[in-house]
Amino acid sequence: MLDNAPCGFISFGDDGRVQLINATLLERLGRTRDEIVGRHVESLLTIGTRIFYQTHFFPLVKLHGRAQEIFMLLRDRAGNDFGVLCNAVRRERDGRLVTDCVTMEVDERRKFEEALVQAKQTAEGATAALEAQALELELQHQQLQEQAAELEIQSEALQKLNHDLEQQRKAADDANLAKSNFLAVMSHELRTPLNAIGGYVQLLQMGVHGPVNEGQLGALDRIDRSQRHLLRLINDVLNLSRIEAGRVDYKVEPVALEEVVSSVMPMVEPQMKARNLVIEVSLPPGLQALADREKVQQILLNLLTNAIKFTPAGKRVCVEGGRQGSVVFLRVTDAGIGIPAEMLEKIFEPFVQVDTSKSRSAEGTGLGLAISRDLAKGMGGDLTAESTVRQGSAFQLDLRAVEEGSSA
Amino acid sequence: MNQDVLRRNNVTILGSGTQPMLFAHGFGCDQNMWRFVTPYFESDYKLVLFDYVGSGRSDLSAYDAARYGSLEGYAQDVLDLVHALDLNDVIFVGHSVSSMVGILAANREPDRFERLILIGPSPRYINDAPYVGGFERKDIEGLFEMMDRNFIGWANFLAPAIMKNPDRPELGEELTSSFCSTDPVIARRFAEATFLADNRDDLERVTVPSLILQCSDDMVAPTEVGEYLHRKLPGSTFRLMKATGHCPHMSDPEETVALIKDYLGAPVTA
Repeated sequence: MLDNAPCGFISFGDDGRVQLINATLLERLGRTRDEIVGRHVESLLTIGTRIFYQTHFFPLVKLHGRAQEIFMLLRDRAGNDFGVLCNAVRRERDGRLVTDCVTMEVDERRKFEEALVQAKQTAEGATAALEAQALELELQHQQLQEQAAELEIQSEALQKLNHDLEQQRKAADDANLAKSNFLAVMSHELRTPLNAIGGYVQLLQMGVHGPVNEGQLGALDRIDRSQRHLLRLINDVLNLSRIEAGRVDYKVEPVALEEVVSSVMPMVEPQMKARNLVIEVSLPPGLQALADREKVQQILLNLLTNAIKFTPAGKRVCVEGGRQGSVVFLRVTDAGIGIPAEMLEKIFEPFVQVDTSKSRSAEGTGLGLAISRDLAKGMGGDLTAESTVRQGSAFQLDLRAVEEGSSA
Repeated sequence: MNQDVLRRNNVTILGSGTQPMLFAHGFGCDQNMWRFVTPYFESDYKLVLFDYVGSGRSDLSAYDAARYGSLEGYAQDVLDLVHALDLNDVIFVGHSVSSMVGILAANREPDRFERLILIGPSPRYINDAPYVGGFERKDIEGLFEMMDRNFIGWANFLAPAIMKNPDRPELGEELTSSFCSTDPVIARRFAEATFLADNRDDLERVTVPSLILQCSDDMVAPTEVGEYLHRKLPGSTFRLMKATGHCPHMSDPEETVALIKDYLGAPVTA
């Protein structure tokens, strides 16, 4: 019955030698019983299966007494391989330990298994790809978060820097204010004794205290000139500090610039004549600016005084006026030594002159331009300069124009 | 650290002697394979048995694919144990691939080892004329196919289930009781590390005396391979066994024990 059962049967000892084999398996192998019995069971297996038998099947049966559903490749007489599933039990028979195996050929199932495994591997590959993408996204997300954190830190640093700068600016403003206050007080304290000097010099010159000889008159004249220079210097300092301290009031109203120019001309005429200079005035009629008349006068006087001071004898000084959009300007051009480009902004700082040695001899406080610009800005305008060395300089006072139809 | 290594490699210590015998199982098995021979040595030696990481009941989480991609990684397992237990004068007993693992370990720290007992050793399984290893590359690929076939169910369905159900160790038990290897993917990698290795160059550097136990009719490690080893291994003793097959310690433990005892002579006792 076993001989022709629809499965293979083979039994072998611990030494691997085949003791029994049924007809079904013999037929599948294309062998006779005599060929197989007594031979090692390995001889029925492919070489790869033999290693598997030695390293897995034999220890399994030996250690656990049984093996189930082991796949093996058998080789028939013609050299063709066929797969079987094998169940084995190791038991004692006739006083000897033998391993009984049944084998069932698996052919169609192998193909299904392969298809299943392949489908599963494909699915796993797709899953792995998705996981890789998810990981990539996660990485990008992390990088973005890191960048955000970095930006946050930078933003904090900038805020702190801003705060520090604000503090420094406030400290600088405070220091400036203190300086202006100091200068105002000092100037006032200096002016009082200087006025006394001036007054007593005049009394001496008038002979109130007795006759004064020629030499003494000369000395008194020098004292008088020095006193006036000193007083002007102190007045300038006082003005500047007042402006900087914001203590200057501006009376802004429509100002006819033609009138301002006319009122300033007489003040500079003596100096111009002394140096044989020509002054050219070119103003559109009726040009008006919104400004403080006295301040404009003061600025123009300062600009003209400077222009005359630095223009060589016999040359000309120009005063022009005009309007550009909402700006009305007055420009004073000299034919002087010019100002190097790197000095153009510095000359508006207090106590700065282009050539210190010359300025002292030309007498001046070095405060005129600083005061003028501050006054211009105080009226909502500006004072700027352009220059070409050895050809001359132009100073332009910008003022707010009077809007058409405005009655202010 | 010591406890970690002992747990990692599922170390078992038996015997009442002092000189250590370190038993290293072969590919496809675990320390259970030694159970037919260990009783003969228990009274005279301290027996240390273990499972390589990935085999038997080792700690699977300690598996590192890069480390165990070559036999050096397995040799490190052996040295880790030697250090953890501070073993000296070790008699190393290795089956099959573990013979080469023992040689690699002994070459790295020869002072720890007294003897090497190599059961069914082979330094290279694939022929490389004139060297005879016994196999062509396609034969080894046939083994890999056989493993893949038999692990199809586990590798594709059971192993993922084990990984996803750490609270159900019985799933792993089923594997262990079936094939002694806890994870088919690891077993496959172990197979590659074993059967594609070439350790012939390591042989002449060996300074520890060795016993080669060569089975008759061993298709995994043919007699030519055992003889080659004997020629190349300095200080080696060669014994051709009556036992056949590749696992004499299981198929003929008595002969195996007798040859080992004969080689070791009178045991060293404290």
